Amino acid sequence: MTRDETIDRFLENVAAVAAETARVRGRAGVDRMIADLIGGDSVVYCPRLTELERSIALPEDRVTDDYTSASVCVEEVFAGIAETGSLVSTSAGGRAVQGGLVPQHHIALIATDRIVETLDHFFSQWGDGPPTNITLETGPSRTADIELTLTIGVHGPGRLSVIAVEE
Amino acid sequence: MTPTVAPIDFRSNAAAAVQDSLLRAALRNATDTFAAKRAQAAACVPLEELREAASGIRSEVLGNLSSYLDRFIERASRAGAQVHRAADSAAARETIFSILKQHRVDKVVKAKSMVSEEIHLNDYLIANGIRVVETDLGEYIIQLASEQPSHIIVPAIHKDRRQVGRLFAEKLSCEYSEDPAQLTKVAQQTLRREFLSAAAGISGANFAVAESGSVVLFTNEGNGRMCTTLPRLHIVVLSIEKIIPSLADLPTFIRLLPRSATGQAITSYLSVITGPRKLGDRTGAEELHIVFVDNGRSSIVAGEYRDMLKCIRCGACLNACPVYRTVGGHVYGATYPGPMGIILSVLLEGMAKAHPLLDATTLCGACGEVCPVKVPLPDLLRRLRERRVEEGFTPAIERAGIAAFGRAASLGGLFTLGRSMARVLWPLMEKLIDPQTLGRLPKPAERSFQRRVR
Ligand code: SF4
Repeated sequence: MTRDETIDRFLENVAAVAAETARVRGRAGVDRMIADLIGGDSVVYCPRLTELERSIALPEDRVTDDYTSASVCVEEVFAGIAETGSLVSTSAGGRAVQGGLVPQHHIALIATDRIVETLDHFFSQWGDGPPTNITLETGPSRTADIELTLTIGVHGPGRLSVIAVEE
Repeated sequence: MTPTVAPIDFRSNAAAAVQDSLLRAALRNATDTFAAKRAQAAACVPLEELREAASGIRSEVLGNLSSYLDRFIERASRAGAQVHRAADSAAARETIFSILKQHRVDKVVKAKSMVSEEIHLNDYLIANGIRVVETDLGEYIIQLASEQPSHIIVPAIHKDRRQVGRLFAEKLSCEYSEDPAQLTKVAQQTLRREFLSAAAGISGANFAVAESGSVVLFTNEGNGRMCTTLPRLHIVVLSIEKIIPSLADLPTFIRLLPRSATGQAITSYLSVITGPRKLGDRTGAEELHIVFVDNGRSSIVAGEYRDMLKCIRCGACLNACPVYRTVGGHVYGATYPGPMGIILSVLLEGMAKAHPLLDATTLCGACGEVCPVKVPLPDLLRRLRERRVEEGFTPAIERAGIAAFGRAASLGGLFTLGRSMARVLWPLMEKLIDPQTLGRLPKPAERSFQRRVR
């Protein structure tokens, strides 16, 4: 698969699991897109651990450090897996992985060079020393426990937006 | 033979279940949907190759289980987890309770775990004054209703939206609704408070990874992630055979487990947890305990039924089984229902108690065909039926008299059904089962049966 095909496959599979997708070239478009996505009254949690996270313009009066009181989490994820359309977050670097779980809306930024083709590519790198937590997130939270009726948004986010950022 | 053990009364249970038209409709809907989704999802991957690979990995682990366990324990401990081994259910319950007591925990949030059902953990903790909150929606529903799970993947499969609506209105004092989305929201709001205030989370694990000492959890709702990351204390309870060698083996099981269970290519969430929170971490419980339950598995793994322990609890054999599809999970009167449940129940709970379940199979072979790790289910069922006779347990039919046999046999080809099974269920099954399933029922002749007739 070429790089472009891998990115396309990733975004197709992300879209297939009921998440919103966008692909932007350069960081210029990111702020605008996030401003549109978070809307007027949300409380935003952003870990500000990566350069990309730190570069995002957010409405400072509505930013919180406490993910349990946030309605939106904006963060850069560690990797993407094209095969399944999964986003990967890890605890490495002091990230609170659950920060992307608790708020109702998860906006995930992913650098396109962090997208790998298959699950094998991703899982063969850890050997005996993975970080404390590796979480794959594929689409929003869901259940079909009542009469098998699919319901989106149970304990995790009901809305997942994925922005692939090409440097 | 221990005459003091009362055998499970599968026949009366089943007879009652087939009278319940609501249950039958719900079961039909669920098992049909899952079976169809599984078939669809399976068509997107090189299924046979994957099954072969998964079966090989599981066999390799079971062939060397104690060294894999030792490796896991060493690696998990190195990562800071505290690993415990419990020989039986009582030891497992006590271990878990003493950890909770040490931490003065009065409430735990729980993510779905079949082995915790196997060891009857909830009742024990509740009797000892600890509040246990099940957080998987299906488990939450049946906990509110004080019932048992009826399916290993969708535990409340036997309840329809009106029943859930009435249950929530009564127990949670909310307005009656029969909209699954609204009911889900009510549960979500109630449970969010529990998550944020619980000092301990208990979860199962789908796999334990020997090389890295990690536990792996597949969930869709996000409750598993909440239980394992929000409380200070996390206790994982799992049975000893859940080991895979390394994280590099995980993709094979990711490709098979959700596809076989719900027809998804992957669950919404998959967590790989390696030890508790470490210096500099902001994720993970401060203390992680891993409790391995044996409950006779060490001896099963050394014997002729070892292959049963390859099972990864996907539920596909339940959905494929014409008996399960007709009667549902409760009638088995055991933790694990369906074809895999019959075998596990006999192996874990003993022939004296579980032998009537051996009537709950038509030996049609459908379970073996769908199993993602190639557990030779029909073969194991056949061998256990032979063993039942050798051990002197009488199949129900012989107690009921020969008339029933005549009735089953006269239905042409039907004598290949388990005989008491045929007597109780056939007239109903004929009406209930779709022609496709019906068509395959008599296919493989039941050797042990014919041998005995001659
Ligand atoms: S025996 Fe096979 S099909 Fe049945 S639950 Fe286990 S893995 Fe799934």
